[in-house]
Amino acid sequence: MTQQALADAVGVSRQTIIAIEQGRYSPSLEVALKIAQAFGEPVEQVFWFTEGVDSQTMIGNLQ
Amino acid sequence: MSSLSFHEKSAIGTLVALWFIGIFYFHSVWDLWQAGQLHPASMTGLATGLTILLVIVLVGYHILIAATARPQQEDERDRIIAWRAGNISGVVLGVAVIGIVVHILIGGFFGNALAESPMLIANALIAAVLLATVVELVLTLVFYRRGL
Repeated sequence: MTQQALADAVGVSRQTIIAIEQGRYSPSLEVALKIAQAFGEPVEQVFWFTEGVDSQTMIGNLQ
Repeated sequence: MSSLSFHEKSAIGTLVALWFIGIFYFHSVWDLWQAGQLHPASMTGLATGLTILLVIVLVGYHILIAATARPQQEDERDRIIAWRAGNISGVVLGVAVIGIVVHILIGGFFGNALAESPMLIANALIAAVLLATVVELVLTLVFYRRGL
């Protein structure tokens, strides 16, 4: 799945998907759930939190 | 520029246009003041002319970037960045206006030029608005590039 296809599926810009991938933006719960839904995975498989570190994602790996 | 969103391109263009037109405006105001010609008529003419120029430049620029970029709807990240940058620039504007008011009040006791010239007060307020706008645009670009 391309960044643009994911962005279209979720309803955000491609730049926002890039920012989430690079850890420069933590999405709202709604967008996080939509991203997980687009991949057909539970949200905790796509996003997780480590104490002392910004929220992390494996969107890049899933794509 | 292709990796930049419409909002980033808009902020860059607006910042550059404001910067150059702002510098030209205040340079002209300074020259008028030094020549003793800073009257309401000259200042109104200068401000009106440059405002029309700014609008024409920005409309042309936005038509150009809208025509060359994929149309984008504002998403949650755009709204948060706009809110945060606007919030901080609002504080900058408030501090600048209070600073001008305090300067006028205190300067009034010592014959300060700012306290005695409505034209200088008007230009100080215009400078405060310009400063707040520049801060907002710079912060917008920083938040897009470096994250929130």
